[in-house]
Amino acid sequence: MAAPAGGEGDEALAARAAAGEVLAFEELVSRYQARVYRLACRLTDDEGDAKDVLQEAFLAAYRGLPAFRASSRFSTWLYRIATNAALMQRRARARRPTESLEAFLPRFDEDGVHAAEPADLGAASRADELLDRKLLAEKARAGLERLPGIYRDAFVLRDLEELETAEVAELLGIDAAAVRQRVHRARLMLRGYLGELVGVKP
Amino acid sequence: MLMDYLEGTLGPEDRVALDVHVSGCPRCVAFVESYRQTPRILRAATAASLPEDLAESLRRFLAARR
Repeated sequence: MAAPAGGEGDEALAARAAAGEVLAFEELVSRYQARVYRLACRLTDDEGDAKDVLQEAFLAAYRGLPAFRASSRFSTWLYRIATNAALMQRRARARRPTESLEAFLPRFDEDGVHAAEPADLGAASRADELLDRKLLAEKARAGLERLPGIYRDAFVLRDLEELETAEVAELLGIDAAAVRQRVHRARLMLRGYLGELVGVKP
Repeated sequence: MLMDYLEGTLGPEDRVALDVHVSGCPRCVAFVESYRQTPRILRAATAASLPEDLAESLRRFLAARR
């Protein structure tokens, strides 16, 4: 998460906030609340959960500020707090049984040639492009919710939040190779799930 | 190797070899294209913006706990 351009740096603000300056903390909240909320929405399954994560993350940041060392970027530190809050929130939910997206991985035959693509997912009418786009967005969100957690976390942080692979590895406590592998599988599953909406022929 | 190719991190020799194959194979072209589109589609579909009332309730939530 890059710091917004202009104005006082995040780390300087964090130092003042840690020293008890309320306005400095409020400035940090206003800089990052939209991004933390968006991350929370991507990592959890409903708006209520995202709201809880938003609140818990900033409360934890507020309480943790005295321990924040400017050796790391404030944004990275906050992202770690927010990601942990989101993962805890998700774990607290009873997992709804969902059909695995693994069925949507591509298949290759013995010669390495593409076998027929996964089952047709219900053909969307191509007549109305606007409807297609709306359908695509809805289907994309549904796919993300159905992605097994380990793939979802890596995919959200790397591809949606666009953090560096090394940063994602650190946040999730896995190595960089595992991040890449999980992101790759997530893309494959989502691609298959979106089906012919992204040009995957049944 | 497929993953490296799709991510653009494959060495130049292998990449060229695969480029040659892919460009002559309509299924591969479609595969690569849809693979690379997928993150963009998901990014756009999940770019939630913060509702104003939520920003306000966050402010109150934090103020009450200081």
